[in-house]
Amino acid sequence: MEQVFQIHEAEVDGTPVISVQGEIDVATAPQLRECIHGVIANGSRTVVLDLLGVTFLDSTALGVLVGGLKRCRELGGEFHVVVSDARIRKIFEITGLDKVFPMAESIQGVNVSAP
Amino acid sequence: MIEDPQPEPTDAFADGGRVLLVFPARGDLVVLARLVTSAISARAGYDIEELEDLRLAVGELCLLALQGSDARHGELQLEFVVSSEVIDISCTLGGAAPAPAGGNADGVDSDQLSEQILEALVDEYGREQQDGSVRSWLRKRRKGPLA
Repeated sequence: MEQVFQIHEAEVDGTPVISVQGEIDVATAPQLRECIHGVIANGSRTVVLDLLGVTFLDSTALGVLVGGLKRCRELGGEFHVVVSDARIRKIFEITGLDKVFPMAESIQGVNVSAP
Repeated sequence: MIEDPQPEPTDAFADGGRVLLVFPARGDLVVLARLVTSAISARAGYDIEELEDLRLAVGELCLLALQGSDARHGELQLEFVVSSEVIDISCTLGGAAPAPAGGNADGVDSDQLSEQILEALVDEYGREQQDGSVRSWLRKRRKGPLA
């Protein structure tokens, strides 16, 4: 059964964590963009994006992530991505973005150096 | 609750087949293209990895067709042509005007990302403009014989 798209914000050790569930595509990516922009506008320069619950991701979603990365870097911060699903990781690999984003397989595995 | 079983790989398209899907060119309906692609690919005997590749690739086809167009009044037409070894999928956007000039919200070249994904997942792909319509297409060969 298809998972409903959901975004949840939390904070782990002072760093905002945005957790997404479901499919991120051209229809849902704008909600994620708005959430990321909101977190940064509230004063965070580093963001952790938890994609552990994501079942599908397209180029629109990648564009939103790259936009978030650019914003965080402009502020001297970081944009971390948490992915464990091989299918989702493959999309990062074929676009070369696995070399651009700091990536971890779990929230605990994220190593924030600029909180 | 009774769940629909996953379709078994079959030779339903062994003699070839053509499926047309037409829907309003709205982002929230691109999921229809992915769902139909999954169903057709499974029935045509593609394995789960190929099926997932096709599902992602078709979404990118739709995005390539939609890119740069004000598609609010247009429609997307997907054509699936299946033979024993190959699936050809084309996506045509008709009835849409060029999008008004405006910056990309993320400052990212979405077309380039779409093309990188298609390059990796399918055997051939392309995009062309014809008589005011935008058409993107892909071709993917099946890796092995029917299961």
